[in-house]
Amino acid sequence: MEKCQFCGKPATVHMTQVINNKTTVIRMCNECAAKHGLFDKEGLPFAMLSGLGEALFSGMKQSLSANGLICSKCGCTPMSFKETGRLGCPNCYKDLKLLIDGIIESSQKGTIHKGKYSKEGTLTATMDPTNSFTDTSIQKPIRKPSTEEKLNELQEMLDAAVKAEQYEEAARLRDEIKILKGSGGIS
Amino acid sequence: MNDFAKKLFQDSKLAKETIPVVVSSRIRLARNLADFKFVKYACKGDLHTVAEKCEKVLASCPIFTKSTILNMGDLLDYEKLALVERHLCSQEFIMDTNESKLFFTDDHLTSIMINEEDHLRMQVFRPDLNFKTMFDKINAIDDHVSENLNIAFDNRYGFLTACPTNVGTGMRASVMLHLPALVITKQIGNLILAVQKLGFVVRGLFGEGSEAQGNFFQISNQQTLGFSEVDILSRLTQIIRSIIEYELNAREIVKKERIIWLYDNIGRALGILRGCYCLTSIDAINCLSLMMLAVDLGYLPNTLRGDLHQVMMKIQSSHIQVLENKVLNSSERDVKRAELLREFFVTVPNLKFD
Repeated sequence: MEKCQFCGKPATVHMTQVINNKTTVIRMCNECAAKHGLFDKEGLPFAMLSGLGEALFSGMKQSLSANGLICSKCGCTPMSFKETGRLGCPNCYKDLKLLIDGIIESSQKGTIHKGKYSKEGTLTATMDPTNSFTDTSIQKPIRKPSTEEKLNELQEMLDAAVKAEQYEEAARLRDEIKILKGSGGIS
Repeated sequence: MNDFAKKLFQDSKLAKETIPVVVSSRIRLARNLADFKFVKYACKGDLHTVAEKCEKVLASCPIFTKSTILNMGDLLDYEKLALVERHLCSQEFIMDTNESKLFFTDDHLTSIMINEEDHLRMQVFRPDLNFKTMFDKINAIDDHVSENLNIAFDNRYGFLTACPTNVGTGMRASVMLHLPALVITKQIGNLILAVQKLGFVVRGLFGEGSEAQGNFFQISNQQTLGFSEVDILSRLTQIIRSIIEYELNAREIVKKERIIWLYDNIGRALGILRGCYCLTSIDAINCLSLMMLAVDLGYLPNTLRGDLHQVMMKIQSSHIQVLENKVLNSSERDVKRAELLREFFVTVPNLKFD
């Protein structure tokens, strides 16, 4: 019998999740599954899994390398995130970036926001009311920062990453910049 | 009826205007105030300030002219649960009601949770599949909120949320579907897998962690970052349209190949609803699901559809306690539920099979 990846007891829950064509299999016992919010007390008939499960696991994997990180505003650490599954404050996205990027990469479609921008919500104006949502001709919301601004920001982040010898992050940023330049703009 | 019951039993447009297969749809946006810790880490004082600020801004939003605001801490347990049963707030919201408030409009089509997992969880509902209208509505509320409050936003990550699984758009769109024929023909398992592979999640009647009851399934987007709102809603609409088609095809198959079985099950369910004296909520929901199928297939008049949804709302455990204005144990509830169902179903005409 397969063993639980967390405590070594016989595994009764086998979770397969496919995100962006990446398949991950996680095996665990009932208790660990419940602990990670994947099972209710009675046990679900089928796994109605949210991204949370996957995110938490990769969060845990990440936390090994992210040890020592701490949010300067609220004191949240990878460990406290592992315990609660929640971040402490908006600043965590800066100070716990290493942890968060890992979670985002494994649970989200992309790493850059492509939706509405805060404040001047321009989304409504860009949508033609005669269009249905299935219409492929629908216009995408206008982004506030220009491609150039975005590129500058990414370049700054890239420079910082190289300086800090975070080469993995640097490579990722380089790819992002390449994509952005290649697309000639963000729609 | 006390004030709370009146507000709860206000005619919900959601129940009145339902269509076959689609029970309801919802868009939810998660937002946080930039200058405060997220709810789980914030102190009581901060949560109080957040609630006050949000309440002030929301009260000035035109959509909430005819609405109710509740201090969740003031409510009885079954009252809180009744709000969950109505989908006006989440299960998580009522776990810790410290400094949390709930806004909802008289038509029950808009609700806002203050201090849930995020400072603001804003949701709009509709009884059909029309994300365009819903998005315009919630976007207007969001514009009002972000003009008046300093919302946590980052150019790269988008709207910042307490859990990174909501970051970006902060948007979760979901559709509740009634899929009896896909369950009967055992195609539902494959469908769930297919939907999951597309990055969408299938859940039961009450969202995260809930079981599928009465052939009701909730489909929602899993990912919130890397897509625009329009992308997410278009993809979800496409998926839902295909599922509706599968369900309607499966109904034809059932009618062709298992008609006696179908008549028998629908007929027995109506018998139970008319003659029961003690009925659990799961049995009631399963019988009501068959009645909804009977309406869709023309065995019962179309005008019953809205009433059936309203009855289904009313016979839920906490709704019964609100109606009776006291705590009831489960067997007392089963008796009261049966009484409500009998009362309603004696007025329902006999089935007209083809």
